[in-house]
Amino acid sequence: MSVIELHEVVKHYRAGEDLVRAVDGVSLTVASGEFVALYGPSGSGKTTLLLLAAGLIAPDAGVVRFDGRDVSALPAKNRALYRRRDVGFVFQSFFLMPGGTALDNAAVKLISDGWSMNDAHRAARPWLERVGLGERMGHRPAQLSMGERQRVAIARALVNEPGVLLTDEPTGNLDSARSRETLGLLRDICHERDIPALLVTHDPQATAFVDRVHTLRDGHLSAGLDADMRVVSG
Amino acid sequence: MKRRLSWQPQLGGLLVGSLFRLYRIRLRDHRMQEVLAGSGIAVGVALVFGVLVANTSLTGSAKQAIAAVNGSAQLQLAARSTDGFSEKLATEASDLPGVEKSAYLLRVNAVIIGPHGQQSIQLVGVTPGLVRLGGSATTDLGAGAAILTGGIGLPSDVGEAIGAETDGSARLLANGDAHRVLVRAVLNNGAIGALANSRVAVALLSNAQALAEQPGRVTQVLIHTRPGAESRVRSELRRLVAGRADVEPANNELTLLDATAKPTNQSTTLFAGISVMVGCLLAFNAMLLTVPERRQLVAELHLQGYDARQLRTMLAFEAIMLGFIASAVGVVLGDIFARTLFQQVPIYLAVAFPISTHQVIHASIVLLAFGCGIFSALVASASPLLDLRRDPVDAVLHEPGEPGQSITRVTALRLGLAGCLLAIGVTIGVAADASLAVVGGIALALAAVCFVPIIFRGLTGALKPISRRWRGSMLSIAVIELDATTTRSVALAGVAALAIYGGVAIGGARADLIHGLDTNFAEYIGTTNLWVTTSGNNLTINSFAAKDTVRQIEQLPIISSVRPYQGQLLDIGTRRMWVIARAPSSSGILPAGQVLEGNPARAAARLRAGGWVAVSNAFATERKLHVGESVSLPTPAGQVRFGVAAITTNIGWPPGTIILNTTDYARDWQTSAPTALEVNLKRGVGLVAGRRAVAQVLASRGGLRVQTAPEREHQFDDNARNGLSSLADISTLLLVTAALALALALSTAIWQRRTRLAALKTQGFDRWQLWRSLLFESAILLSIGCVDGAILGIYGHALANRWLRLTTGFPAPFAVGEVGLIITLGLVAGISLAVIALPGYSAAAVPAQATFQE
Repeated sequence: MSVIELHEVVKHYRAGEDLVRAVDGVSLTVASGEFVALYGPSGSGKTTLLLLAAGLIAPDAGVVRFDGRDVSALPAKNRALYRRRDVGFVFQSFFLMPGGTALDNAAVKLISDGWSMNDAHRAARPWLERVGLGERMGHRPAQLSMGERQRVAIARALVNEPGVLLTDEPTGNLDSARSRETLGLLRDICHERDIPALLVTHDPQATAFVDRVHTLRDGHLSAGLDADMRVVSG
Repeated sequence: MKRRLSWQPQLGGLLVGSLFRLYRIRLRDHRMQEVLAGSGIAVGVALVFGVLVANTSLTGSAKQAIAAVNGSAQLQLAARSTDGFSEKLATEASDLPGVEKSAYLLRVNAVIIGPHGQQSIQLVGVTPGLVRLGGSATTDLGAGAAILTGGIGLPSDVGEAIGAETDGSARLLANGDAHRVLVRAVLNNGAIGALANSRVAVALLSNAQALAEQPGRVTQVLIHTRPGAESRVRSELRRLVAGRADVEPANNELTLLDATAKPTNQSTTLFAGISVMVGCLLAFNAMLLTVPERRQLVAELHLQGYDARQLRTMLAFEAIMLGFIASAVGVVLGDIFARTLFQQVPIYLAVAFPISTHQVIHASIVLLAFGCGIFSALVASASPLLDLRRDPVDAVLHEPGEPGQSITRVTALRLGLAGCLLAIGVTIGVAADASLAVVGGIALALAAVCFVPIIFRGLTGALKPISRRWRGSMLSIAVIELDATTTRSVALAGVAALAIYGGVAIGGARADLIHGLDTNFAEYIGTTNLWVTTSGNNLTINSFAAKDTVRQIEQLPIISSVRPYQGQLLDIGTRRMWVIARAPSSSGILPAGQVLEGNPARAAARLRAGGWVAVSNAFATERKLHVGESVSLPTPAGQVRFGVAAITTNIGWPPGTIILNTTDYARDWQTSAPTALEVNLKRGVGLVAGRRAVAQVLASRGGLRVQTAPEREHQFDDNARNGLSSLADISTLLLVTAALALALALSTAIWQRRTRLAALKTQGFDRWQLWRSLLFESAILLSIGCVDGAILGIYGHALANRWLRLTTGFPAPFAVGEVGLIITLGLVAGISLAVIALPGYSAAAVPAQATFQE
């Protein structure tokens, strides 16, 4: 059972002479098996919050905890280990290696943890089958549809059996049908694996797949969908 | 909406203004990539420009220097030795009807010593009458002749080298004696033109005669005839000299220099040809790095409705823009290289000819350099047009790997086959005609590039299963990434292959020449323990008055024998031959190892007996001579017939050599003055002790020096290296530019990868793992390049060696030269890896959040 907590986290950036409060005292807890969606307009700080949760950046104030461990205070090397072993990340742009097959891409994350590629392949196969790409393992990204590429990225995010799943606009490049498939897959995995999952999105369809919705605006978090986001969402 | 109707220039279906706009957008989006590609093109063009300048400057500068002195003179009367002929003969020649103007000159080989060093010079004694011939170097001489009274004028290059200043003093060594002279003027380009960069010093004739102890003697009379009288004057001059001097065109020096420098020029041409090809291919490969992204752009624009003509125009326009700007930078860079590197005047030529370091840059060289850069850019950027024939039009976007990067297996096989055909063609062609070696060397450079794709596919295919078994290894990541970017990887490996090929082929051929000359000199010089010569006496052709010196040396208790040695340069046809005369008692009268035709022992006996000569191969071939036949030589005493005792190599002097004994020489050159003394020590006496004892005897002379045989051999080796310095410079320039091109290309490739590296970091890879991955990639590409380049480079080296031996006549046995090969490989790989390490380390430090800033 894993929990990811962000407690009163603050992150500011300097933009010229202005101070941008990307995340301003946000507290958010995502429990095991919870699939939480985070909406917000562009520039609201959603990506920053995701980076904080992943340990990619350290907060200016507040704490990020994973399973009770203070991730935000870890040195850079340990934060890399945290991402390697505990975090599964899915990007909007997939960032697959064009020279590798679907299997190579799904397995690559384990190389960073000292696995051989052959062993990593063995570990990745079940995940590719789980996301419905059992017959396409040998194909390269250019030979896969957008939806299939995203599923490879999802398999890659899960191959290390992470304790938390962080996804940044995973349906941003997909049509509505593929989006629904992807969201459904993420929800199912989140519930099956009983891991917390945080979804940063603009996709209105996501509200039907998640357990909870929040909106981030001007660095502040609120529950539910804001009125104008509901308009945007449809 | 009303369209504004106004004429705007169009090109290939696009407005010219739009073409500029599109390129500006491209620059904004891919600024760093264009800069790096442009830098690669610039480096290639710099190499092309630099070697072309090196190839032309030597005779070009001599032409300027000779014309600057000769002015309007059409004919000259030239002595057949440095002892010259009497002024009386010169006066008689000048008084011939038909002679409108004339000037006497005395040329003396000497050494000038200043506060900061010494240099070999040619001191030219002149009269104010030279001004009447109107040479650009003499225009100030009339008015300024007074300033030379009692002193000498030095060219500015020599003045700077020895630290001499106007109205300062210096020591002049001539005829075996030392003289203190007043430096009346240090003359720059403004005063004497191209001569300012030569080793030609000037003095009034009377002063030069006094310094050389040649009173009443001159070595040259320049003659300007009345209109229509030239052939008559020539006939009368020949009658006057009666075969004791040469009557020839005033610029005959150039013809002789051409023949003397021909082997060096031919060697330089071979090296320059290979380097030009390598330079073009470096530019091509730099542009190739931008091809994948251009292929994507072509597919996208094609989808949006641009037709083939418009796309061709756009690609050509961008290639020409980049090629032009990069070529301009390359020409400037090449000029800097040429000025920095190619400044040395080969000593062995400076002894015999008035050449300077003045660089001659013809417009054709600039145009050719530009042409290479723009052409290479155009050819490389044309490949995306092949995608226009594909169906569907955006097929390139769906290729395996990064879009636009793919090189199919069929293409790789075809290129490999092309490489094989090139190599086979070269083998057959050169076997049939050795002069095709230049073309062959260039073709092999192309073959080196053709082989890269197939080697790349083979190696990455072999590495895949190995890398997969290796735990925690970043090799598997490296192989995947290389596979994704095949075109870029091939371009990078191609640059490495070219760098190695050029370095090995050219460096190896040069090393063969040096080694051959080293062996040759050991035999020529090793006939005695000690050599007494005038300073700076590189061809041992400067005579000196023996006076009492021989007797004084003979009287030393440690001395076994002292033998005279005599040498000269003798103009025969277009060749300035090196005459070597040794005493009949000399055991090394004929270097046996240099004999190509004839029995060495029998030939040596004939030389000792007299009436026989040994001549070098090229001279013998030209005159269809064989052992046992006879040859007529033009000596100061007139035409003299000798028997041919043996045919030899050219002993390191390109136009050729003539070997005879000192008795014949003294009779026919009408002088017994030696140009060296061969001193043998008694058994058990050390060389250093012997040298010290002889030096004490020579102290009173000032203008003579003693060297041990090893010291003299070392000096000749240095001269040979100096003589081949342009080859060394081209070789160095090629290695430096290639390593630079490789570093630039690898830096480009790493820069292009930053976003993907950030993505890997997001998944947990740390900096060191990513850096290892980049190093693995670079090491794989360098390995491909090194192996490909080394194998073809050795073959190119063998071709170059064969051709050089045939054309130069130098002894140059082929040797693979493992040490040189390893140094070349190490240098290119080492420099490249060192450069990659830094940007690679920096790229690997990209923050993971850069993924989200795409």
